[in-house]
Amino acid sequence: MSLRFSYVKLFGKIALSMLPYLKVENLSCFRSDKALFQDLKFDVLPGQNLEILGSNGSGKTTLLRILLGLLKPDAGSIFWLDDQQNYNNYRTFSCFYQGHQLAVKNLLTVAENIQMTKASKNIDIEAISKCISRVGLIDPHEYASNLSVGQRKRISIARWLLDFHKIYFIDEPFSALDDEATQLIQDLILDLNSKGSSFVITGHRSSGIEATHINI
Amino acid sequence: MKSWTYILLKRDLLIAFRRSATYITPLIFFLIVITFFPLALGPQEKLLSSLAPGVIWIAALLASLLAVETIFNEDFRDGTLDSFFISLEPTFILVFVKVFIHWLITGLPLLLASCVAALVLYLPFESVSAMILSLILGTFFMSLLGALGAALSLGKSAILSAVIVLPFSIPTLLMGTSVIASAINNQEYTGFLMIMGGMLAIGIPAICLLTVEALLLSYD
Repeated sequence: MSLRFSYVKLFGKIALSMLPYLKVENLSCFRSDKALFQDLKFDVLPGQNLEILGSNGSGKTTLLRILLGLLKPDAGSIFWLDDQQNYNNYRTFSCFYQGHQLAVKNLLTVAENIQMTKASKNIDIEAISKCISRVGLIDPHEYASNLSVGQRKRISIARWLLDFHKIYFIDEPFSALDDEATQLIQDLILDLNSKGSSFVITGHRSSGIEATHINI
Repeated sequence: MKSWTYILLKRDLLIAFRRSATYITPLIFFLIVITFFPLALGPQEKLLSSLAPGVIWIAALLASLLAVETIFNEDFRDGTLDSFFISLEPTFILVFVKVFIHWLITGLPLLLASCVAALVLYLPFESVSAMILSLILGTFFMSLLGALGAALSLGKSAILSAVIVLPFSIPTLLMGTSVIASAINNQEYTGFLMIMGGMLAIGIPAICLLTVEALLLSYD
């Protein structure tokens, strides 16, 4: 009897862990009477990725910003899963967003840029140094103003590792990066997927990571 | 464990400290405007001391507007403001911290510079404390108005926020000058200070909330 009970409990847990973090229904956005996207419907499941593909100006960034509540959609609904496994139409958990602007301050060093973010409030210096070396940045005391676009992107990638986020929304993560950094991002995505994090990323073409694709 | 407010305060002060123009420009501007008056009018003690309340306050109001650009625009351009909005932290706290930092880097140096202004404009020594008290309250109110102007003109030029803010600074100007003028004439000035304190007490929640709404408006 107790064995049967524990099986039920286990299956229940698995079923709950497969509830989507995010559910999007019939989402539409119009710009100057022209539809950027219409009636979009998708789910973001734990540990799974979603890749939004489209050409320049197709509304990929707008879609990400709508999902995060930075812009309002013209129609449709977005539902977020909360800790009690209920869906709410407001965001209930902290997400990570990396837009085209990377929120990297020129007047701060690499280490300071990573240290002085909300996610780093519980993290010690050693852990931050580990994050910096993991993303391949050599000098933590270099000012961000002296770094290239790709290196600044690595600062933002180092922030992924500071805290657990259920969903990472990353706008064109592979642009302006060399092969080594591209591989690094792919490895990190796999690593974070295994911990239960999901990625919603945009791009012009498929990046090769395991993901559901949406064309807009 | 460090609080998010502490991290924000430390980060913005560090950036302001490294970009010295942020706090030096309003200071120099204030001192230059003040020194123009004795140069233009001549060293007439009576005339200068009667003009002093107005001159100090107008210079302080204009100087405090010079760093308005740094309140939100930079964070908006580099994407930091986006991360605030998605962080689930109350935006009200962010706005208040931003106002406080703006006051620390513009209002506080102006208090020190106003002591020099008092010397240059032959302000009686007894009225210096009244001047400083009125400037503490008034410059903080100006930082609040500056934040509102900056939020309303997010992504646009700083001069637009100055145009938005200046008409609303008239009550502060009137009260501030009345405090110094009363102190010069040995009259009671605590009533004016109380009104300024009252304006600040209402202004902190009211203007911060308006600023939050203005920021959200700019995003839509």
